Amino acid sequence: MRVSLKWLKELVDIDLSVEALCDRLDMTGTKVEAVRVLGEAFEGVVVGQVLTREQHPDADKLSYCSVDVGDGTPRKIVCGASNFAAGDKVPVALVGATLPNGMTIKRAKLRGLESEGMLCSATELGVGSDASGLLILPVDAPVGMPYAQYAGVGDTVIQLEVTPNRPDCLSMTGVAREVGAVTGKQAREPRFTVSEAGGSRADELVSITIEDAAMCPRYTARVIRNVKIGPSPDWLAERVTAAGARPINNVVDITNYVMFELGQPLHAFDLSTIAVQDGRAAIIVRPARPGERLQTLDGQDRVLTEDTLVIADPSGPVALAGVMGGAATEVADGTTDILLEAAVFDRASVSKTSRRLGLISEASLRFERGVDPELAARASDRAAALLAEFAGGEVAAGIVDERPEKARAMRLTLRVETMNAFLGIALKPQEVMDILGALGLFAEPAEGGLIVTVPTFRPDLVREVDLYEEVVRVWGMERVPSTLPGGRERVGTLTPFQKHRDRIGAALRCAGLNEHIGLQFADPTDMVRLGWSLGPDEVPVDLLNPMSEEQAQMRWTLTAGLLRTVSYNQRRGVADVHLYELGNVFWTSPGRKLPKERMTVAGVLAGAWDKAAWNVAASHLGFFDGKGVIETLMEEIDVSRWKVRAAEHPWLQPGRSADVIVAGDVVGWIGEIAPATLDAYEVTGPVTMFELNVKMLSKAIATKIRYQDLPRYPAATLDIALIVDASVTEERVREAITKAGGTLLESVRLFDVYQDSAGAAERRLPSGKKSLAFSLTYRAADRTLTDEEVKPVHERLVRKVCTAVDASMRS
Amino acid sequence: MGIVDELQALQSEALNAVGAANDLEALEAVRIEYLGKKGSLTRVLRGLGSLSAEERPAVGKVSNEVRGALEAGLEARRVMLADAALASRLVAEEIDVTLPGVHRYPGKRHVINQVVDEIVQVFLGLGYEIAEGPEVELDYYNFTALNHPPEHPARAATDTFYVRDLSGESAAVEGESDVLLRTHTSPVQVHVMEREQPPIYVLAPGKVYRRDVADPSHLPQFTQIEGLVVDEGITFGDLKGTLEHFVRELFGPDRRVRLRPHFFPFTEPSAEVDISCGMCDGKGCRSCGGEGWLEVLGSGMVDPNVFGYVGIDPERYSGFAFGMGAERIAALKYGVPDLRLFVDGDMRFLRQF
Repeated sequence: MRVSLKWLKELVDIDLSVEALCDRLDMTGTKVEAVRVLGEAFEGVVVGQVLTREQHPDADKLSYCSVDVGDGTPRKIVCGASNFAAGDKVPVALVGATLPNGMTIKRAKLRGLESEGMLCSATELGVGSDASGLLILPVDAPVGMPYAQYAGVGDTVIQLEVTPNRPDCLSMTGVAREVGAVTGKQAREPRFTVSEAGGSRADELVSITIEDAAMCPRYTARVIRNVKIGPSPDWLAERVTAAGARPINNVVDITNYVMFELGQPLHAFDLSTIAVQDGRAAIIVRPARPGERLQTLDGQDRVLTEDTLVIADPSGPVALAGVMGGAATEVADGTTDILLEAAVFDRASVSKTSRRLGLISEASLRFERGVDPELAARASDRAAALLAEFAGGEVAAGIVDERPEKARAMRLTLRVETMNAFLGIALKPQEVMDILGALGLFAEPAEGGLIVTVPTFRPDLVREVDLYEEVVRVWGMERVPSTLPGGRERVGTLTPFQKHRDRIGAALRCAGLNEHIGLQFADPTDMVRLGWSLGPDEVPVDLLNPMSEEQAQMRWTLTAGLLRTVSYNQRRGVADVHLYELGNVFWTSPGRKLPKERMTVAGVLAGAWDKAAWNVAASHLGFFDGKGVIETLMEEIDVSRWKVRAAEHPWLQPGRSADVIVAGDVVGWIGEIAPATLDAYEVTGPVTMFELNVKMLSKAIATKIRYQDLPRYPAATLDIALIVDASVTEERVREAITKAGGTLLESVRLFDVYQDSAGAAERRLPSGKKSLAFSLTYRAADRTLTDEEVKPVHERLVRKVCTAVDASMRS
Repeated sequence: MGIVDELQALQSEALNAVGAANDLEALEAVRIEYLGKKGSLTRVLRGLGSLSAEERPAVGKVSNEVRGALEAGLEARRVMLADAALASRLVAEEIDVTLPGVHRYPGKRHVINQVVDEIVQVFLGLGYEIAEGPEVELDYYNFTALNHPPEHPARAATDTFYVRDLSGESAAVEGESDVLLRTHTSPVQVHVMEREQPPIYVLAPGKVYRRDVADPSHLPQFTQIEGLVVDEGITFGDLKGTLEHFVRELFGPDRRVRLRPHFFPFTEPSAEVDISCGMCDGKGCRSCGGEGWLEVLGSGMVDPNVFGYVGIDPERYSGFAFGMGAERIAALKYGVPDLRLFVDGDMRFLRQF
């Protein structure tokens, strides 16, 4: 809502500075979004006098003028208007001026002649609707005076953010009432009288039929005859402009003016275009019929649906109720007789229609917030009075007021003690009554509290608690003493799952991964690019109205998003990427309403931990760095029963991919991204990734950890190197060792893997074999082991392992 | 030459040898040469047995003196040589301490989650529990039970993401859906109040979605943190005190807080919460757009209609709720100019915090 301060001051006394007024409005719930000083827009515009006017030698329609602007240096200005002569006084925009429409005046050549400024029309200055020629000023206008000072247009426009619960503040009178209430002043209503002419009464000229009172609780019509369409007087055009509308003609401007002043949207029909029934122009308010069409004021041909409320005459729809008029019944230059509509329409209906058709107007905005049902007749009278005065109209006697149900004022009880307890303050009943009274409510003491009568312009006040808000916002939220709740039975604690999730993140950071939070949308083509498949009967979650085709689904994996992030980094020259993301993935299945959400964690490694340093070589991250991250993770979160098992997935490079298994269940996968997948996401490899199910990990986290005695006796360490088939896994050999080790074997550590490289000249192992070297630690808890004791144990272990995995000792 | 003379000659010869030993190894060789099992002095001493009883005491005394002098000389030289050896080793081992160290690279918590963690800590301290809810919600939880009228504009498909409903319900078949991506964390309030009886003290952080094109000040997905308290005797002053405590914990004790009346469908009275600008302390500067205040929270007393949906008696209980955007707070706290940086995943950004 744009509020002209000049206009507002006519409706309420203001002795605060603009800044103080804005602060007060801010702190009472009407936020000031912007303050604009209108005079600023006229900077560089002065009163000038045309000294000479000559025909431009090379352009029929241009004149070449010399203009006195009061500084002794007449300006040479080329002008396209024709309604002036030498000696006339006009507004002159000097070089450097910026006009309200944003145009900046520059020195320019027009058809070969240089022009040092511009002579202005009313439209160019935004002070009127007459664009036909220059704004000719009275002869007594002082040459050289700034135009703003001369015209007294130094207004200030305050732009208010009106919350949806306050339709009353979408009018000047409502804002004046609010300003009065929060500054301790009494607002004034505009005064006017309608003089009605003789001749036919309005109800002899117009009939109104409302088919559904719920959709249209009130419809009034007045008739104004013999209007003369023309430009509005300057004050009217200025106010309408200040409020944010474009001046059009006196009739349209007056309907807008009254809407801004009182809050009642009005519509003027050309009476002669409304079809007549039984001798009267017949207005019918009804839902559109299927297939009906209407060309609206903006020239669009619209097909109507049954849930659109229309104003119709017997021949068909003439307007979209509360949203926009029809082109055929529009007030035009030749219009003489007007049917003036002031009505109330259902909020939801207007909202739906305007949004569906994309027609959001000042009128629809007010209807969907709620227009005071008591206002229609008064607003109609106000507009009729103005039409009589400024459009020469004759107002037909009476108003047709079709109103199936009368609105009833709401009466509420306000328990002052309860209110004080709820707000944490201690107001006396009289203070409460004063605040409510200033807001235009009527409060009187009664048994158990105050009885408050709510006027119809405050449809938001329907419950006792709504009144509490009125009291506390006007009294001042800043005055409410601050306290902390004193409730008992409160402990601030995290759930075990929340703690586990935090530990998983902390462990991954400890392992070197940085946390990433990505958008949780997926590209439907990700499924193909990854070669991913969901479980049987599982489908991705489709968005019905995505922002783009690339974000048309909810993600079912973190992998695609992380690959894009790697690509994003690589394209910016960042080659070393170590990220993890912990968040939900989504999927659904036929028959389901809500999708499933699964908390998942994924990590990605590309490049190196860091560039090579003077004392450390760069390590190129690969599968075992990723596996190392998982090892760190499992150790940090106390998951002991886990392993990986070679497994293939389409997005992973065969032979470098595995499932991660915890307590016998697959909880996720790890591997290097397959070359084709890297290409699909424009990523340079190698890239190692893993993705794990957080809930399953959480379940495996040990809740109890038992202390184990530290060893008190020394250990005996023996190394063995075993030659096995290249296809035998380290895991198999290690398990064989562990199994054969008996109680004395404390730990097994692989310290070397050797295999002849393919083209090696010197072959150190039989073909198809590899060597695995382990360091075995033997220890007894209760004594120092002697060589004699360890030797047979170790020899037996070697024999058993050799048999179990078909190995031989490497000498 | 008498044996005494012989001993004295040996002493001076040995001490010369000690003095000539230039390292610990040479010194040890000298020790062995004179004092070892087969050493010169040892050999002389072994010959004492053949002396007469008269000669023996005097010679014995001299030989002990010689042995003592030799041992003392050896020790003194050993200490000297050891000191010298240490000194030269220290010189040899000197390093340039300004060379870079061997660096470990633990990862960073995302700055948004750092903010969330910090806020969570404040409210855990105030006795709140952390509540969570689904990101894909029903219209009922996101709007209806939060007192949004059916025609509320936030429900429009231009503002809210809708999700295909596969339930086969009639509305779904007609192409309409009441399944959506939650637009705020407030539906968690409803779930908690349906599930639990007061007293309720919960904080609900989570991701939320709005149909905004990503630009410096908008993201289609961001992080909200919702708070809800329902108990007997909760007042508007409690809301104010709680938020003031929170703001000072998060932004520092010097920041001022103001509540501005506002409108939210699910609270009454409602207030927006501003904090004084940290750059100008409320005077108005470029950073706060000249206002002196920065809006960080929405809040209010739980609307009785919301209590109605979840079956809590508003005559017995009252409550407050508040919500804030973690991205906005992080942007304010760290001066991040473009919200998209939070979701881009640029390593250079992530490692700054």
